[in-house]
Amino acid sequence: MTMLVVLVMVGCVENPNVTEEVYLENPNAMRSWVVGLQRQLAVTTNTVTVNTAITSDNYYNNYTQYSKIFDRLQIDYYDTDVNNLQADIQELRAMAMYGLEVVLPADPVSTKEQEAYLYFCLGYADLLGGELFIGLPQNNYGEVESWEKLLQNAIVAFDEAMALETSAEMNRVYTLLQARAYYNLGDRENAVQLASQLIGQEVLYSVEFDGQNGVANEMQNATFDALPNRLAPLPRLDFLDPKYYSVGTPATDQKTVAIAKVEEAYLILAEANLGKGDLAAAQSNLVQLLQVVKNRPVVMIDDSGETRNGGKREDYPNQSVPVRFTKEGKYQEGYILNRQEGPIAAHTISGTKVTELDINSTSTIDDLLYLTYRLRQEIFISEGRRLSDLGIKFPVSQIEQLNNPNVSEEYTIPQIPSFLPAESMDDFSVAEDGSITIVEDLNRLIIQNKSLPEVVPFF
Amino acid sequence: MVRKLFLILFAFSLSVNFYANSFRKKLSPDITKIRIKDQLIGLDLKDSPLTQVFVEIESQIEKKFIYLPDQEIYRSKVSLKISDAPLQDVLQRLEKLVALKFKVTENGILVKEKSTSGTTSLQQVRIQGKVLDEKALPIPGATVMLTSENRGTATDFEGNFNLSLNASDLPVELKVTFVGYKTKYIPITKAVNDLQIILGASTESLNEVVITGQGADVRKKRLSTSVVTINEDELNKISAQRIDQKLSAELPNAQINLTGGQAGATSIIRARGVNSAFLSSTPIIYLDGVRMDNLNTKMQLGGTSQGAAISALADIPMDNIEKIEYINGGAATTLYGSDAANGVIQIFTKKGGKLGTSLTLQAESGVETPTNDYLYFDRTKDLLFRNGFYQNYRLNLNGKGEGGFGYSFSGSYRNSSGVQIHDQNENLKADFSTGFRAKLNDKLTYESSFIYVHNEYKRNRNGNQGGYTGLWFAEDGSSSFTGPGFNNRLDELTSQEFEDIKAYVDNAERLQDNQIVVNRFTTSQIFKYTPLDHLNFRFTGGLDYRAQDQNTVITNEYLTATRGQEVMDEGSIQNVQRNYLGLTLELTGQHNWEVGNFSLITTFGGQFFRTKDHQILYSGSNIRDGAQTISDAAVKDSDEYLSEVLNYGVYLQENIGFKDKLFFDLGIRGDRNPAFGENIGTQFYPKAGISYMLSSESWFNSTLFNSVRLRGSYGVAGNLPPAYANEKTIKFDGFLGEQSAYFGQPGNDNLKPEKTTTIEGGIDISLANSRINFSAGYYRSLTKDGLFYVPSAPSTGYSIAQLYNIGEIENYGLEVSANFIPIETKDMNLSITASFNTLHNEVLDSGGAPAFNINGFSSRTLQTVVQEGYPIGFLRGNYGTFDENGVLEKSEPQSYLGTTIPDIFGNLSLNYSYKNFGLFANASYQAGAYAHNWDAQFRYYYGASEDYIPAGEIEANGRRNWLSFTNRFVEKTDFIKIRTIGLSYTLQPKNKAIYKTIMFGFTAVNPLNFTSSSFDPEATISGAAQGQGGASTGGISYATYSAPRQFLGSIRINL
Repeated sequence: MTMLVVLVMVGCVENPNVTEEVYLENPNAMRSWVVGLQRQLAVTTNTVTVNTAITSDNYYNNYTQYSKIFDRLQIDYYDTDVNNLQADIQELRAMAMYGLEVVLPADPVSTKEQEAYLYFCLGYADLLGGELFIGLPQNNYGEVESWEKLLQNAIVAFDEAMALETSAEMNRVYTLLQARAYYNLGDRENAVQLASQLIGQEVLYSVEFDGQNGVANEMQNATFDALPNRLAPLPRLDFLDPKYYSVGTPATDQKTVAIAKVEEAYLILAEANLGKGDLAAAQSNLVQLLQVVKNRPVVMIDDSGETRNGGKREDYPNQSVPVRFTKEGKYQEGYILNRQEGPIAAHTISGTKVTELDINSTSTIDDLLYLTYRLRQEIFISEGRRLSDLGIKFPVSQIEQLNNPNVSEEYTIPQIPSFLPAESMDDFSVAEDGSITIVEDLNRLIIQNKSLPEVVPFF
Repeated sequence: MVRKLFLILFAFSLSVNFYANSFRKKLSPDITKIRIKDQLIGLDLKDSPLTQVFVEIESQIEKKFIYLPDQEIYRSKVSLKISDAPLQDVLQRLEKLVALKFKVTENGILVKEKSTSGTTSLQQVRIQGKVLDEKALPIPGATVMLTSENRGTATDFEGNFNLSLNASDLPVELKVTFVGYKTKYIPITKAVNDLQIILGASTESLNEVVITGQGADVRKKRLSTSVVTINEDELNKISAQRIDQKLSAELPNAQINLTGGQAGATSIIRARGVNSAFLSSTPIIYLDGVRMDNLNTKMQLGGTSQGAAISALADIPMDNIEKIEYINGGAATTLYGSDAANGVIQIFTKKGGKLGTSLTLQAESGVETPTNDYLYFDRTKDLLFRNGFYQNYRLNLNGKGEGGFGYSFSGSYRNSSGVQIHDQNENLKADFSTGFRAKLNDKLTYESSFIYVHNEYKRNRNGNQGGYTGLWFAEDGSSSFTGPGFNNRLDELTSQEFEDIKAYVDNAERLQDNQIVVNRFTTSQIFKYTPLDHLNFRFTGGLDYRAQDQNTVITNEYLTATRGQEVMDEGSIQNVQRNYLGLTLELTGQHNWEVGNFSLITTFGGQFFRTKDHQILYSGSNIRDGAQTISDAAVKDSDEYLSEVLNYGVYLQENIGFKDKLFFDLGIRGDRNPAFGENIGTQFYPKAGISYMLSSESWFNSTLFNSVRLRGSYGVAGNLPPAYANEKTIKFDGFLGEQSAYFGQPGNDNLKPEKTTTIEGGIDISLANSRINFSAGYYRSLTKDGLFYVPSAPSTGYSIAQLYNIGEIENYGLEVSANFIPIETKDMNLSITASFNTLHNEVLDSGGAPAFNINGFSSRTLQTVVQEGYPIGFLRGNYGTFDENGVLEKSEPQSYLGTTIPDIFGNLSLNYSYKNFGLFANASYQAGAYAHNWDAQFRYYYGASEDYIPAGEIEANGRRNWLSFTNRFVEKTDFIKIRTIGLSYTLQPKNKAIYKTIMFGFTAVNPLNFTSSSFDPEATISGAAQGQGGASTGGISYATYSAPRQFLGSIRINL
């Protein structure tokens, strides 16, 4: 008998997991699922911002634990970072779908706003998929859909979100994201129509992070908190680094990352106007844009911890030295900051060195288009946007391909425009006096190749 | 649940009744004798001496005549013509012909001269003598039995015994037994008063009784598999800080490699290859029948400690061990059920000693020196290492009382200062253990052991944890950009530059503050109940509780010093606790039955095994320097992990012996585990085997061979998936003050244990008077339903890999071991033991799933990978080829770069003694495996070395292709490592009033290494951080400390 009691006592085990069944049976499932999507949006944003920063000319990875080959434009479908990027985007999509298909019917107290948020996440996941990948499967082991189809899916999802959403502020965000999708598709008419609605309005949607629960802003960590800094900016972008910073304990001071801001509407309109040859209208769009940028907050921060010696490359400047964009260009001051001499300005949403004078003194479409792309690069830095400007798209990952019989070989090859100088995108030379010459001005190369289908959608 | 438990209990009680009843109905044991007496004999002899008659009869039965051949009577001649008469009749006829009497006993036919008068038969004679061990030390408590009369005595404190018997009973046979020694039979034909009986230690005796693999006692020869037994004396020869290190060159068919020199480092234990791609190959470990934590549930929180995992094997009690039994898988492990596929190590602690009280005091101390053999820069040793001091004190007290009461106490204290500067690898351990054995009554014996281990050690940063990490800084070239930045070619530094870097490193090491503390309590309670002569039960209950606290303090001062810039608000403390509680309950019954030529041993029982692994992380950041708890932190954080597993199984085994020469072993175990869902149901593990003592055949009368045995078996053993790995789950985490829900694991309703089926055959030979013992076997094991972590397709939205039973893994190989005793004289003895094993490992089928890595970095750099058609954990990375100018021409990604599992491995040992002087050495070797020198690849990248890569490439491309030719850094890891060399001298005083013996010893630990690689082929801890948790085959050498050398002197006093 004693034996029996002992056995019964030890015979029960505790299950620390919450199964799907238990989760759905309990009240308020949707509430936690929406927060889960917010969390996933933060996770996805981290993967996108860091990997696109490294792959593009914006940042060089001086740290061993991020991709050491994206900087060289080596994008292999078997690469773990390619898989992670796909996985984080698809997890956002799958979670949104699960919310709509499973959680929504199971939770009677779900609201329309919650449903709208699910559609927003679905649309945003498709938008990222269409911008960053040549195609992606749209459901478990499903057929691969082309990037154009993904963007169209995004537009549909944002429509659904708008139909459910009552907040005008959020509807403007959806509108802007829809305009961005049309822009990427090269659909000038729809892009312009939507972007125009937003001119003069406040549109800003930022992703929030939680450093105390393991979802810190990785771009903030990489460019400010972790010392030495992990990512080094192209010297002509030095003044925009860091976009995110912390005061005190980093875990409790995590800055947001803007994924939709009204600046984009002006940029879309400017490029559309340039596409139809209207230089003056484009100039006007961009001058208005500068006003928007000027109204964005600028914070003086102490970045004296930055020494730019985080890894192998030690040639990054940390003195205030002049820089020229190419060896033919003129040396310009103010782009590279000395961070030891006192606080520096952090442009937490948008910043640029392009001036009204620069804009108004352009006389050709290409010159203003060049400035438009410089503005895009400077305004969107650290927000994961540069790759679509460069026309780079990732392939479907090998893990997907090995699991999913629907992935044909064509989807395992990345899209890398031939004009991109893979080995020298982040390169620069240092003169004896410390002044810097950037090897390639990629914005110039983009404009020179604007007729290629991979870049400049409206040309 | 309760109902199931009740049913099992009910089944137990039924089986008890059944066996008790069956015994009552059983015939008298005399039946055996009657049958022997009935054996038919045929003789046709004319005028043959009696001795000749005996030889003829002996050739036809399995009994020998016991008599005194120099007596006149045996020369008398007889004529006999008998065709097929029973032995009894033949003996009766002989009794009529000569004045002799015969008595058939279990061990032979006793021959006595018929007494001429009634008085002499009552005359008492004495047999007096002494029982000694091979070192001529008395063995108190040895049993001396008269086999014919089933009575005897025990030796006294000085090993003396004294028996008296009727002279008419002569000749008799004495059976002398003592645990751990070979049993000796001595024919006695006359009174004797100075008989010296020397018992040899039982090393590989087939008559030795073992428990492992059987649930209850059984002789080795009855088993169809081999069991390795290591006794206390052998264990005492090896100076080691932990059990796996102690066994590293002792198990002939297993490989034990310590993957690093830091305290608490994990070890890779591998016997019959790697039969799982998800679980480490560490065997399960029992201490007095209680399952021990062998860290097969890995740390889930806080990851690794200072870059590398912590092993629960490092603090398994090892100071009071009587013997260790080891089985390496296959049929032998079947009775251990669902997680025994990697083999079983059973540790038996002392519960008593020789009659009286025996006290042993031991002190051991000496120097530790760093193993600098593998350092790339000569000056690394001056930066990071120094000599250390080792001390170890031990006290053992044990004894036995007259009433079967045995006791044992052991305490030890050990402190190793380590060989890293600022005591960064100091290791302190204290063990206390007690063991008792008491005979409560004729039928009930109680055994108990209580063991407490306290272990605390430091661990400085290893691998690459970012920032400053000692070896990565010095050896991998990262000194060029860490802190203020230095010239990373250490051997080219000027003395001033070197002083600067040394000051930096000294400060960086000094300011590291971390500690791991383990408190472990283990107890086992055993009741042995023998209700009837041939039926016994053993109930084992016990627990293993292990609390591990891991504490890392990072101060602003440390960060400021290592980064070379002032840091004010990044101080942090992280604490991770892992509390493990394992509870074991087991009831085993054993019934012996002899019927005719058959002997049957039935074993049945049930085992409950429950573990709880509870991990808690609490950390604080932005904390002021000097704080030791997180209470002062600006931000506090915590996390928790819990896993509970319950497994219960029942088993039944029948061991059938025929004429004590042919044995069949049949068994089955059924397991259930509530954590695995209904779809799995009961898992069955069957086994069948045969053992044939060829040398016991009557026609086998070779003088060369002492014993020849053939064995073969088939058996299934399993590996359990982790608890709840079948479930589709939702995970939760806080996010911005709210509860966030997201996808957990995808789930798999059909998840079940993977099963390894082993077929093996072998031969065990003992020849030249047991001076050559040879054992050879071949096995093939096939793991079906192999548990593979299939990486989730991104399109599913899951990022966690899910376990599926889709793999098929094959291992096969030869297992050969031999022991030679070329010299065996009174004063001198030399014994050499060697083993040789081959191993082929291959993933036959991966069920179409993508390849996945078990260790390493990312798929574009270097990983150890599981992929169909390749061995588990092979090195995969970029394979670069160079043109005639030495410039990289082509780089083939994800290429096979070599296997990390050796083709050949084994151990060697040597024992030499001359009078009181002893020499002992052992070694391990392996060949055919490869590992990657990640240190060298980093050194290349950071410009600290030009080795491995053609100059043309560096000229043309600089260092930027550093990841494109990973193959160039792969090296062969063949090695022979001498683990221990020990010298001893034993002093035996004439007057033993003060002490019995004093032994002086000198031991060199890890004295000599011969390796084909430029790095330590075993030191792969940082590259194999999964350690005990997941499958690990090592293979990546990366900023890992090698085990230090030790030169120790010791003195052991026996009081």
